[in-house]
Amino acid sequence: MYDPLQAALKVGSSGLEAQSKRLRVVSENLANAQSTGRTPGADPYTRKTISFESEVDEAMGVSTVKVAGIERHRAPFRVEHNPGHPAADAKGFVKLPNVDVMVEVADMREANRSYEANLQVIKQAREMIAMTIDLLRSS
Amino acid sequence: MTPIHLFNVVSQHNRWLSVRQAAIAGNIANANTPGFKALDVAPFEAAVESARLAMTASAPGHMTSRQSAAAATDMRTEEPWDVAHSGNSVSLEQELIKAGEINRAYRLNTSVLKAFHRMLLASAKV
Repeated sequence: MYDPLQAALKVGSSGLEAQSKRLRVVSENLANAQSTGRTPGADPYTRKTISFESEVDEAMGVSTVKVAGIERHRAPFRVEHNPGHPAADAKGFVKLPNVDVMVEVADMREANRSYEANLQVIKQAREMIAMTIDLLRSS
Repeated sequence: MTPIHLFNVVSQHNRWLSVRQAAIAGNIANANTPGFKALDVAPFEAAVESARLAMTASAPGHMTSRQSAAAATDMRTEEPWDVAHSGNSVSLEQELIKAGEINRAYRLNTSVLKAFHRMLLASAKV
């Protein structure tokens, strides 16, 4: 027999972990939003995407969340005419990363919101455990 | 005998609320999982009704059914407020409202239990 409140804590912490990994990927993308190659015609940094999947915890019968994988985004690179750049090809075009800063910031806000929601669940489960323990306290 | 029955009901309800809290924790954790369908537990009334209709073991050979635990964890897909393009039907607002409801009900239960416990203790002290 398991304690459902413990299960809630476990699920909440799995959510926190998944969302913090998502924030890590977002920060990598943002940090490398301008990272080009160094040799002529070289590919720049490729945007990374993260995907989640739900996983049923057999012992507790609840669905936790886990990171299904981190993949490369398949959108084409932006191209800029800059003949003096070390990564410029024969025609003077430089490939820039396929990172859209606005999309990353929006993703960051969503990760933040989900993280907060998970934190709220953990807080409430803890409160409920504390309420049960407080029954022992004689007034 | 009444307070004893009350203790039983309160602890049953609290167990149901804990299971529901775990289900909602799962929904919130999977708020960004593609294709995830939000879950909820069967209402407490249904859990109590099904417990009442349990078979009695009148002979030692009869098998007992752990109905109360099974009924409390009966999951079902809930009707969503909206479905995202990814097929995810979790609405964070809806889930947080439910979590608040659970918290309130749990607090009410423990407070009632505490009041009755104090009453019993007071009568025992005399």
